[in-house]
Parts: sequence; C-alpha cells; structure tokens
Amino acid sequence: MEALLNDIPWGIIAPILIIQLILVVVALIDLVRVLHTNGPKWVWAIVIVLVNIMGPIVYFIFGRKNE
Amino acid sequence: MSALLEANQLTKIYGKEYAVNQLNFVLEEGTATALIGPNGAGKTTTLSMLAGLLKPTQGSISLNGEQRADVRESIGFLPQYPQFFSWLTALEFTEMAAKLSGMETRSAKLEAQKTLEFVGLGEALRKKTGTFSGGMKQRLGLAQAIVHRPKLLLLDEPVSALDPVGRREIMNLLKSLQQNMTILYSTHILNDAEEMTDQLLFLRKGRLVEKGSIGDVRAKYDHPRYRVEFGSAEDAKTFSLAAPWHVAVEGTIGFIDIIQDMPVMSDMLKLLGESGLDIRKAERQTASLEEIFMKVAGQA
Amino acid sequence: MRDLIVLFQKEWRENTRNFKILWIPLVFIFFGLSEPLTSYYLPQILNAVGNIPEEAMFAFPEFTPSQVLMATMGQYQFIGMLVLILGFMGTISRERKNGTGTLLYVRPISYVSYFLSKWKVVGIIALASVWLGLLTSWYYTGQLFGSIPATDFLAFAGTYSVWILFVVTIVLAMSAWLPTGGAASLSLVLVLFVQIVDSLLGTYWTISPWKVSTYATQWLTGSPDTSDFWWSIGVTILAIVALVVFGVSMSKRNASKTKV
Repeated sequence: MEALLNDIPWGIIAPILIIQLILVVVALIDLVRVLHTNGPKWVWAIVIVLVNIMGPIVYFIFGRKNE
Repeated sequence: MSALLEANQLTKIYGKEYAVNQLNFVLEEGTATALIGPNGAGKTTTLSMLAGLLKPTQGSISLNGEQRADVRESIGFLPQYPQFFSWLTALEFTEMAAKLSGMETRSAKLEAQKTLEFVGLGEALRKKTGTFSGGMKQRLGLAQAIVHRPKLLLLDEPVSALDPVGRREIMNLLKSLQQNMTILYSTHILNDAEEMTDQLLFLRKGRLVEKGSIGDVRAKYDHPRYRVEFGSAEDAKTFSLAAPWHVAVEGTIGFIDIIQDMPVMSDMLKLLGESGLDIRKAERQTASLEEIFMKVAGQA
Repeated sequence: MRDLIVLFQKEWRENTRNFKILWIPLVFIFFGLSEPLTSYYLPQILNAVGNIPEEAMFAFPEFTPSQVLMATMGQYQFIGMLVLILGFMGTISRERKNGTGTLLYVRPISYVSYFLSKWKVVGIIALASVWLGLLTSWYYTGQLFGSIPATDFLAFAGTYSVWILFVVTIVLAMSAWLPTGGAASLSLVLVLFVQIVDSLLGTYWTISPWKVSTYATQWLTGSPDTSDFWWSIGVTILAIVALVVFGVSMSKRNASKTKV
C-alpha cells in the first residue's frame, strides 16, 4: 500500500483533489449563508462532505432554494 | 385639472367569466382615487390592466389622451404582495428599478437612496431583501413604485397586510405623495379610503356600481338624522308627541330624519331646551363609509 | 437597449451570488481532468485493487489522444447536459411563479432584452465552463497520451460550442414557456432523448442539430463531410434563432401569468 501511495504522481492528481475541495467548501459556505434549503441543513452538510463530487452538485441543484 | 388616465369600457373576460365588466372612469391629474369593493370584485384585475400586465379583452385605456402608449413608462405599481429577489439589497433593487424606468445611473443611485430613506428604510439600505419583514417589504415596494417619480401611482391594497402602526405610517407617506402624483389604490378597508380620496370607485362583481366624490356618494346614499338620547323612554315619547317633525322612538332614543336640510340643528336644540325633558345626548349622525358601502353593495 | 445592460447586470449578480458562476465551471473542469486521468491510470488502479485475472489485463486497449478527448465530451453529453438543464431550468419560470418577475414586467422593459439578458449570462457560463473543461482535458491528454494539434482541438471545441448554445437556448425557451418541472423534463427529452433517437435512427439523415457533437469529434480524427457539417451548423443556428423568438414571445406572455 505504501508503495502504491508513493507511486501516485501527486503533481498530476493534485488539481482534481483541489477542485473537489473547492466545491465542498463553496457548497458549505453557501449552505451557511442561504436562508432556506429543501430539507434540513445538517443533512445537506453530510451529503456535501461525504458524497464524492456529486454531493456539492446535488446540493446546488436540489438543496438550495432559489428565491 | 385634466384627465391623466381614462378607462373606456374596460373589460376582462376569463373563459365566460367577466372579471371586469365595462368600466368607465377618469383619473384627474393630481387626485387620489380609491377603488373599493369586496374580495373578488375585480380590483386587482383592474389594476393589472392599468399597469400593463394584463391586456383588456375589450375597451381601452388612454393616458394623456393617447391610446397606444406604453403605460408602463408613466406608472409606478405596488402589488398586494410584492416579491423581491432575495439576493439583492434594498438599494440594489431600488436602483435597478429606477434604471429600468429610464433614469441615468448616477441619479438612479441617488434617488434610490433618497427614496428608501423617505419610506423609512434608511437603516436597511444594504440589507438583503430576503431578510425583510412584511412591513419592510411593503415599504420597499412603495419605494420601487415611486423612485422614478411616476405620474400615476397604482397601489393594490397598500396597507391591508400591515399592523395599525405600519398602516398609519404608510398612509401618511401616501398622503405626502398625493401632492405630486395621481394615485389610484384599491382597498377593502373603508376607513383608509375615507382618509385620502377625491374619487371613489365602487366595484362589485366586476362592475362599477357607483362612482363619485365622497361628498357626492354621501349625498346619494347617506340619510343623515339627529339622534337624541333621553333619560327615560317616557321623555322620548313625550318629545315625539310634542315635536312638529316625525320622531321615531326606539327605547330612550329618538331619531329625526333630516330631509332637505330640515330641520336645522338649532331649531331642534331650541325645542329640546324648551321642553324641560331629561336630555343626555343630541347629535347629528352621518353614515360611515362602511354603511354606505353596504348600501351600495346591496343595491346592485 | 439600456434595459438589456441593466438586466444583464442583475442576472450576472444573481449567478455570482448563487455561486453558479463558480461551481458549474468547476464541475466541467473536474470531468475534463478526471477523464484523461482515469483512462491513464485505470489499469494501474485495477491492478492495485487486485483480483484482476492476468488475461484480462490484455483487454485494456491503448487509448489514442483523440479517444480520450471524445470520452471527456461523452461525459459532458450526459452529466454536463444534466447540470446545464437542471441548473438553469428555473431561470425564467421561477420569476413568473414566485412573483419576483412582476416588478420587472411593470417597468418599460422590452421582452427581447429580458430574454436575451438571461440567454447571454447562461450562455457565457455554459461556454466558459465547457471551454475551461475541454482545455484542461486537452492539456492533460497531451501530457499523458500524446498531443492533439491545436487546429483540430479548436475546430472540435468550436463546433461543440454551437451545440452547447443550442442546449442553453432550449432550456431558456422551455423555462419561458413551461413551469420549472415541465421545462426540465422537456429539455431533457429534447437534449438527451432525441440525441439517442437520432443516433439510433439517424443513419437515414445527415443534417441535424443532434449530429453537431458527432461532427465535432470528427475534427479530431480527420474532418466531417463538409456539406453535411455546414448544413447542420446552419440548421442549428436557425433553430437557435427560432427558439429565441419563441422564448421572447413566451416571456411576453408571462406578464399576464405572473403572480400579482
């Protein structure tokens, strides 16, 4: 396993991880600032953090109440 | 005074339902007109047509004598429940409204700020409208309706959703606007109408059942009378027998109809004074707008 | 046309404050990155996970650079379309339904400006997202698989942009016409379902907006049939114009349907 981790070219992988991180952070910031969501906020927080890449997308499309 | 707006046979039909049926009225420049009627009478539909949201099925609206003008250039409109983009601040929204009505960018910003201060939102200029309470939304709604100084201000139930304090404040604002603008507002609260009106339009089931100044309408429907309260039913009766006019007695109270301004108050008071009876109270009664409204609504 | 500028500003502000201007490009960039990366590392990943029989390892074909870029577009053609449709389905219908549109409709705005302000902002976000994503994918593909000539890439991305504009215009026109749910459903049908139908039955014709994405990929391996290509582009642009005209007239109708 350790050998595998060393094999991973982090320089190439890093951008994809950074993008995911930004999406999660932006979604969480929005979740805090927005007045109402469809469904409880804490559920969305879990979805955003735990569901890889799709979590923030699904939150932005379905969770956020656009008024 | 000249006619600012003239509605001619204004009609809106939904399916077979006449929401508004052949309205004819004129709004004179600089006057305030109250559109009154029960819920479902067609007030909102009428205002929506005047605001250019709805197209009349029949009839026409002319502004300054012009029939084909885009009325939206000369009006400010406040819907009953104004909705705002929750992500804009009060200042941003009002500024946008001013610009969309043709104001220059610089004056739009200045006027927006001044107008918001005028309606009492000076503290909330940079707050997002999504956080506003009902009363604040009503004020913002008024601000966006007047920021571009429209000739005609259309208001749909401007105060009915407010608490008594808010209602008083908005009514005072409207009264101060009355000097510069022609106002048409709908209401089902007749006390409000009584306060600020040059012309009354009574709407019932889409039809204009009565119109005129408060004085005219009163003269037509109000039957003024004197109400005299005696110390006892006995005295009331005695007076009714002695008086040269017809006195209707109800318990300790006597009512004397005033017909063609007769009898005059002084004559009646003189007679009462000479009678030596136990008199508690004597007054001239006029019907409230509420009572007149019930009469108008009942007759059609 | 001043109202167009003011409405554009409003629309831009909205999409900044609801973060669409940030998250939609990021999603496209994500798939632009992940496609070449997973294609490149898939054998290693599977190998590391183990359980792969020795013989199966031969089943992994070597990808050509153009195949990787096509695979990125393949992701956009499904997930990307979903994001664009679901992300912008309520652009007009929401304002009509919740009554926020009312205070715009009572101002002397032209409905051409109203529709175009939205079309421009959504178009800019969609095109910027697609281009950022494809450029990322192109760069990574070049690093991992071998380079694709810039002219081929530009022809590919340029052609694909016409399709993206077509999709954006469909979503907005539907949103002007129907309630949000209906707008999303019909857009999904028009974009995804018709696409499948066109690819199944489409051997009988060569000119269609739904073939534009296929022609786009053909720039990577050679070039599409010139006549079919230009006719399809022409028809798509005509369809875009027709949809804009439809969207404008439906927006105008909104004034009488908005919540007062």
